[in-house]
Amino acid sequence: MIVVKAGGRVIKQARDKVLESIGRLGEKVILVHGGGDQVTEVSKRMGVEPTFVTSPNGIRSRYTSMEELEVYVMVMGMLNKFMTAYLIKAGKRAFGMTGVDGPTLLAERKKKIVIIDERGKKRIIDGGYTGKVVQVRTESITSILEGVDVVVMSPIAVDKEEGLPLNVDGDQAAFSIASALKAESLVLLTDVEGVLMEGKVVSHLDVSQASELSSKIGPGMNRKLMMAAESVKAGVKRVTISSGLVNDPVAEAINGRGTVIE
Amino acid sequence: MAQLKCPICGGQVSVEDDALPGELVEHECGAQLEVFKKNETLSLRLAEEVGEDWGE
Repeated sequence: MIVVKAGGRVIKQARDKVLESIGRLGEKVILVHGGGDQVTEVSKRMGVEPTFVTSPNGIRSRYTSMEELEVYVMVMGMLNKFMTAYLIKAGKRAFGMTGVDGPTLLAERKKKIVIIDERGKKRIIDGGYTGKVVQVRTESITSILEGVDVVVMSPIAVDKEEGLPLNVDGDQAAFSIASALKAESLVLLTDVEGVLMEGKVVSHLDVSQASELSSKIGPGMNRKLMMAAESVKAGVKRVTISSGLVNDPVAEAINGRGTVIE
Repeated sequence: MAQLKCPICGGQVSVEDDALPGELVEHECGAQLEVFKKNETLSLRLAEEVGEDWGE
């Protein structure tokens, strides 16, 4: 079983390439998709101005108010159904779902977050409707996969306490699912060739090298590396971070293109 | 500047008059304090630990 994560930029620029590549695989696949940029676009079209906040570490992130959560769920659902329909047309038995369904992904909401406000002051504000996946109920995925070839999963989880849908990070959702299922392979398709050091792709890392390198590289990729190391420790055989913009990106990643962590 | 009392060490803490609820202040005793409003006046309490983890 393979878990594939395709980020929002990859979906925007090369969605069909990714889906065609999945269509050619003979194995069962769980495709976790992103879509942050598409949510921003639709929010603007609907007159809901996206709010971004900056953490004390300088990481700029979307702030998910209830109004934005509604747009997020709507847009992710739309992306999910279009991708599922494409795979069905390509001859695959595909099933589109979110982490709420089942439930499959249970998350904890960040009730408070620290931001740097417009006056440059550190401030605690309400955390909005984002969450961290804390539990994966694998039985819903495995039972669905008995009857289909591909599960297309939107990164929406259900809040363990409040029972509301939550915006969860697609990478974290993919890592959690792959770890819980002890997947053979987790492929992360991004808009870069892999982990870059001094302009060159690092082709192979073991768990301790990945953890060590995560503290030396930029935000975004550092979290991917940290979570990759954790996933391998949790039983995933191999994590590959590779480009989603090339032809047949999933096969390329499985054949060793990009950075392999094992 | 408003002069407030540190709820941990009892020492004096200077806070800007226009500070907003939720604003964090580091005190010299090492405590991280959060500004809040009590009966329309600024006050301080120990800030709860808040990590950083964000959605998609």
